[in-house]
Order: sequence, then C-alpha cells, then structure tokens
Amino acid sequence: MSGPASLSRDAAELAAVQPLRPVDRSRWRGLVLPAVAIALWALLSWLDVVNSALLVSPQKVFATAADQILSGRLWRALGASLAREATGFLIGTASGLVLGALLGLWPLFDRIVGPSFNTFKQISLFAWIPLISVWFGLGDVAKVVFLSLAALVPVVVNTCDGIRTVPPALLEVARVYGFTRWQTLAQVVLPAALPAIFTGVYLALIYSWLATIGAEYLLVAGKGIGNTLIEGSEHFQMDLVIFGMFVIGLVGWLMNASARALERRLARWTGRA
Amino acid sequence: MSAEAELSAVLQRDAVTPLRLSLPWRRLGDAALPWLLPAALLALWFVGAGQGWISPQVLPPPEFVAETLRDLATSGDLWLHVSTSFARVGVGFAIGTLLGLLLGTAMGRVEAYLLPSFNALVQIPVLAWLPFVLLIVGIGEPLKYILIAKAALVPVALNTLQGFRQTPQSLREVGEVYGYSRRQQVLEIVLPHAVPTLFTGVRLGFTKAWLSLVVVELVASSEGLGYLIVYGRQLFQLDLVMAAVVIVGAIGWAIDRLLERLENTLHRHRPGGAAR
Amino acid sequence: MKPMRHLLRWTALLATALAASAQAAPDTIRIGVATAGGGDPVTWGGSPGGVARANNWLEEEFKASGIKVEWLFFKGAGPAVNEALSNKQIDFAYQGDLPSIVGRSNGLKTKVLLVSGARNNLYLVTPTQSAIQSIKDLKGRTVSIFRGTNGHLVAINVLAADGLAERDIKGVNLDTGSAQAALVSNGVDAAFGGYEWFKVRDQGLAKVVYSTQGRDPALTRQAALLVRSEFEQANPAEVQRVVDVFVRAAHWSSEEKNRDELFRIWARSGTPVASWTAEFDKQPLAQRNSPLADDFIVARYKAVVGDALKLKLIRREVTVDDWFDTRYLKAALKKQGLEGYWNASDAKGQPKGGPAVASR
Repeated sequence: MSGPASLSRDAAELAAVQPLRPVDRSRWRGLVLPAVAIALWALLSWLDVVNSALLVSPQKVFATAADQILSGRLWRALGASLAREATGFLIGTASGLVLGALLGLWPLFDRIVGPSFNTFKQISLFAWIPLISVWFGLGDVAKVVFLSLAALVPVVVNTCDGIRTVPPALLEVARVYGFTRWQTLAQVVLPAALPAIFTGVYLALIYSWLATIGAEYLLVAGKGIGNTLIEGSEHFQMDLVIFGMFVIGLVGWLMNASARALERRLARWTGRA
Repeated sequence: MSAEAELSAVLQRDAVTPLRLSLPWRRLGDAALPWLLPAALLALWFVGAGQGWISPQVLPPPEFVAETLRDLATSGDLWLHVSTSFARVGVGFAIGTLLGLLLGTAMGRVEAYLLPSFNALVQIPVLAWLPFVLLIVGIGEPLKYILIAKAALVPVALNTLQGFRQTPQSLREVGEVYGYSRRQQVLEIVLPHAVPTLFTGVRLGFTKAWLSLVVVELVASSEGLGYLIVYGRQLFQLDLVMAAVVIVGAIGWAIDRLLERLENTLHRHRPGGAAR
Repeated sequence: MKPMRHLLRWTALLATALAASAQAAPDTIRIGVATAGGGDPVTWGGSPGGVARANNWLEEEFKASGIKVEWLFFKGAGPAVNEALSNKQIDFAYQGDLPSIVGRSNGLKTKVLLVSGARNNLYLVTPTQSAIQSIKDLKGRTVSIFRGTNGHLVAINVLAADGLAERDIKGVNLDTGSAQAALVSNGVDAAFGGYEWFKVRDQGLAKVVYSTQGRDPALTRQAALLVRSEFEQANPAEVQRVVDVFVRAAHWSSEEKNRDELFRIWARSGTPVASWTAEFDKQPLAQRNSPLADDFIVARYKAVVGDALKLKLIRREVTVDDWFDTRYLKAALKKQGLEGYWNASDAKGQPKGGPAVASR
C-alpha cells in the first residue's frame, strides 16, 4: 500500500491538477477566448437582456475593483489572508519535510506510519474543521493548525517520493566510492530528491492558499479576501464576488508562475551539478 | 536491485544485523505493522477518555462514537445520509467527467485558444466559486452538482489532454506511412495509448469530487454526510462529527482502492508498455 | 529549632503569595456575545447588555483597576460561544437558553448569573410572493433554521403546535446573515428567525407569516449572562462588578421613559429603530429587560431541558437549580436599592401580584 509505486502515483496525482503549459507558444491565441467572453458580457449587460440584479456590467466590476484597490481595502484583506497563509505554510512545510524524510529513509517507520498517513490524506481536511475549532478554539491557533495540515500533506508525499526514487545508479556509485551513510545522504540522496521536494513545497504553497480561503469561510476570521467574497454574497453584490474570485485566481496563478520559474532555474542548476 | 532496496542497504550498512525470524512469523509481522499506529492511537484514546485526561466535550470516548455509529445505522439515518451524499457525488461526478472529457478532447485540437483560459479558471478553488454559483442558482441541489462537477472536471480534462498528447511520435509516423485515415489514427493509435492516462484522470476526478462533497455539504444542506458534521458541530455532539468523518474517510478510501485496482489492470494491458 | 522556624515562615509566605496570585485580578475580562452584531464599534441590540456595551459602562468600571474589557461577537451564535467557552477563550457569555443547556450537558462548567433579554420572539418569514400562509403550509418545504440556537427549540415547538415534526420539513442550517440572503433569493421557501427580519420586511422583500407575539410565553426564548465556573471561583470580586453593571443597564432599559433612547442605542448595531418598535410592540420594557431569574425563567429552562432530551438534542440530563447562581444578582439589587423594582413572574409567565411595573 505504501510502496514506491503508489507514492509516485500520489505525487503525479498532486502534480496532475496543476496547469499544463501550452505546447504552442503563441500567447495571443490564448487571449482570444477571454476577450470574446468579456465582449459578450458587456454586450449582454448593455442590452439589459437578462433582467436581474445579478448581471452586473464589466464596468461595474472595474469600478468596484478600482474602489477596493484605491481605498486600500483590497490590500488589507489580502495582507491578512497572506499573513495567515505564511505562518501555516512555514510550519506545515517544515514538519512535512521532517515527516517525509523519515518515511523515505526509514523503512520500518514507513511501514508503521505510512498506511495511516495515506488514509488520513484521503479525508477532506474540511471535515476536520469542527474538531479543530473545538480543540483549538476559533482564533488564530486553529487557523494555523488547519493551514499547516494542508501544507504538510503534499510536502510529505513528494519528499518521500523524491527520496525513494533516487536512481540506483547513483547509489551504486556512492557505494563504489565507499561513502558513509551520512555522505550518501548529503551528497547523493538530497540533491537527487531536491526537484521532488521542491514540487512538494510549491504544492504546499498552493494548497495552503486554498485552505486559507476555506478557513475564512468556516472558522471565525476577521479580515481576509475570502471574507470579501462572502460579504459580497450576503449583500448580493455580484461585482464584489466577481472581483474577489478574480483576485484569488490571480494570486494562485502568480504563485504557480513564480514557482515554475524557480523550478526551471533549479533544474538548470542541478542539471549542471 | 530496486532503488528502495539499494537505499535501505546503504543506510543499514553500519547497523546491526537484525534478528532473523522464520518466514511465517515475518509475514505476520509485516501484515501487522500497518495496524500498529492506529491500534496505539485507539488504545490511547480509550485510556485517555477513561481516565478523564481529556474532557468528554473535547474528545468523546470511543465507545460514544461507536454507539453513535450504531444508532445511525439502526435508525436508518445512516443510509439516508450516505445515499444522499452518494447521489450528489454521482451526478456531479458524471457531469464533470463528461464535460472534462469533451473539454480535454477539444483542447487537444485547439489547445492554444482554450488552455490559457482553462488554466486561469482552474486557479480559482471550489470554495471561491461558491458565492458566485450560490447567487446564481441558490442553495438547492444544482449548487452542489455544479461545484462537484467543477472539482471533477479539472483533473479529467487535464489528463485527457495529456493522454492525447503522449502518443509516441514513432507510432504516429507508422500510421502515416500506412496511410491511416484520421479516424483510424485516432481509434487505433491515439486512443489505446490515451486510455490509461484518461482513467487516471477519472480516478483523480472522483477523489476531488468526493473531497469537495464535504465542503459543499458543510455550507447548506438538509441531508448528507457533510450535513451530519454541521449538525454535530451546532449541537456540540463531537461523537456525531467524528462518526461522520470516519464514514466519509472509509467510503473515500474504499472507492479509491477500487479505482486503483481498475487502473492497475488498465496499465498492465497498456499497449507496448510495462506496468507503471 | 531556628531553621525550623525559618522554614515555617517561608512556607507560610510562599503559601500566601500563591493564594494571593490565585486571587490576583485578571488583566482582561472577555465577554462573548452569541450574535454577529453590527455597527462600528460592533455592538448588539435586544438586550440590556447592548446598552452597557454601547455606553462603555464596563470599561469605565474597570478602568481604575487597570483591567481591560474585550467584547467578542460570534456569527455562529450560541454554538460558537460554546466552542469558545470550551477553549477558555472567553470568561463571560451572553447566550440563549438552548445553547447554554447544550454546553452544560456536554460538560461545560458554567454558572448563570442573571437574565439579559427575556421573552424574545420567533417569527416565520417567507418571500413576499409566497403561497405559504401558515405553519401548516410548511410541510415538505425548505425552511431555514439556525440549529443549536434558542430559536431552534422554539421553532420545533411552534411546528409541534400545528402537528408537524422537524422531519416533516426540510430544515437547512443557516446563520442569520445567510438565511436572509437565501430567503430573498428564493433559495429557501421560509425561514425561522427573530427581530432581524423586520428590516427585510420593511424593505418589501419578505413577509411575516407567523409570530409568537401575544401567544403563550412558553413559546418565547430567553438569553442570559453566564460565567465560566473556574473564572468565577478565582475572581468573585470582578464577577460582582460585572453583574453590578449589567443590573444598572437592566434598570435603565426597564424605564419606559427611556424607550426611544433605548431603541436608538440598539439601532447602532445596524437594526433600525422601527424593528425594535415592532419587536417590543405592546410589551412593557420591564418585563423583557428584567434580570430576575424568577419562576418563569427557571420553569422555561427546565422545559427546554426536557424538550431537548426528548428530541435528542442533548443526551444527558441537566440540573437547573444548582446552575443559577443568584448571589451576585441579589447583592447588586441590594446595593442599587432595586430589590422591589421588578415584578417576578410565576411559572406560567404571569406576573405575581398584579401587572408588570410602570406602563407608558
């Protein structure tokens, strides 16, 4: 159940829902669809075809966006959400690295803890929220616990997988050269596992971002971009909802893009090593 | 030697030779290992609750949770909630998979136009879609179907696209040399290679769908497993919450195992390829 | 001999120091309020506590001792307050009858100090164009109920009075804000709720189909001020001072001459004066804002325990008599000379010995 095969699959599974890069590099073609969609939207709302308070025009959304940005409300909300995420992400990643390393390097530990961990990650984290809020209260501790768990899972899976799939050839070389256990770990295993570990960390960033939004829904939060969305929903302000969705998507996309850029740079570096 | 064996050999080089037990005992030991941790936790839970280390409102005794599970089962409530949740996931998953397959295929043809927009929309998590869809369709069943469909759609579409991309170039060339028509190419070369990846996408889609079920039901529903969790939380009945979590986990795990078996079979029969 | 005497003296000193530190006043007093509230700074209405909050009476009382007062509002209402109490995140709680009973039944150690908003009404609202005219029409419909709050049980009793059980309707758990959004967008067929709906009605977006006003007082819900037992044992002096302020607020809120001003203060929470006028229509303020834990209140709490047990909302019996700790209330009444001010009611909710205090 916890052999290398299923872990590789898990790692692939986590990566599989990340965006694929278009094979065709032409940027402009990608903009056609959004441009058409927005034009259609503007047309529909101008024609007043659908009589509903919910169909807000693109201009209204822009206006709301401008207001949120200029009045500083966006930055305050975003800042609060990101600060929460940062704490959870750091704690989750650190503990994830330790746990993942233990699982990858110590077969006995893996046999004992591995299956339980596998089962645990099958259960949606959100199901734990009522328990978390009773055990840790409704404040920041609970949120950080939740976010740390969200970050921990991908880090563990990918670290473990990365360590396991070190090419046997490299280990052969280390044995021939008579490396000690520590030397092998530091100079062979770690660099080889680094790309996978990096994938895990960057997935942790994304997952903890998703969890931050979730926490703002289900645990008492205060300020945050998720709350902006909820308030928009409760006050029937579709423009605020759309704006909030856009911001969340944008932040996610930025995280993805910067992580990929870093990954490419790292790959080049380890390739040369 | 496999990588894992190599690695452990390297690491244990300086260690003491372990005790060699006879084969049947070792097999038993191997089989028992995965259960060690859960058993230890369960024991700790029993003792902790019994000794009063933890107050019952923070962590109900295991007997309570077991009793609640039993009550749910005998009163027929369990069946009601499980079937409601299943029905929701079923419909949402079916819609999402279908749309995902269509979208993935479409992107195979006109990728440059569709993929960037798709990528952008993928960045917005299910929870962020919730207020938007809520305002449009209200809090009834369509809300749940739509959100679950969205969750399933993403991995299916991406994997479908991936599947169609990965037909080895050499085979495509063979098809050209033999003068295969477009249709023949698709049916006899592209499709068989794509199916295993496609199925992985479907399996991931189900996992995501099941995960988002809980989220969606937590927000507004009158039956279902997520509803049980909310009800338990509102009435401070943590044993009900834990019972529901156990059921959700168990079902998710069971179906995942089933799909994994199917997937393994498909991979083994993949044309020209070894098992994954 | 000498070392022994030294040892004794030091032990005594240490013991005194420890005892003193146990009695040392807290540096913050935290009060949890079981509603989201509104306004800036956030406050709430419908209870004399809201008056104390808006006028900063508690902060003034404790300023001299250097103790801060923190008010925490919970969108999740009573159930969320239980979670906070369980985590010792708050010391005092303003909470409805059912959630406090649920908490107690699950082992939360609290004491009820005084009543802070009695006989709150429950209403059934529907969208303006709805065909639902009465409780009976709810059969099979989607109805929003905020589960675990004191409205939950009253809703069940109201349904039962017309022969319906909770199973006969499709109950959706929605908090106050979400319920309004859902009803207005026709997401639910109807909703059970309180005074928050008058604003929506006055905007023409909903109609009130049923009201507990004027009916049997047993169909109302109560709210009280509770304290964590641990906190109360460690800081009796501070508890007394908090009770004093709440009694003062209750007195002010019971004077009919303050009626308009009272509603204006409560309106700072976002619920307009018109809503308060509607909620308190034809009712003496003294009856609603009395802090007395009289026969009616005790009878209501016992009835809620009984109903909750029957409906399996709680699994364990809850004793009420040893839960109410009225020593602080009595002391405050005596200190402020208010011992005869409020008329106690009997178990049925009828005032003992004549009509309630002071009419318009």
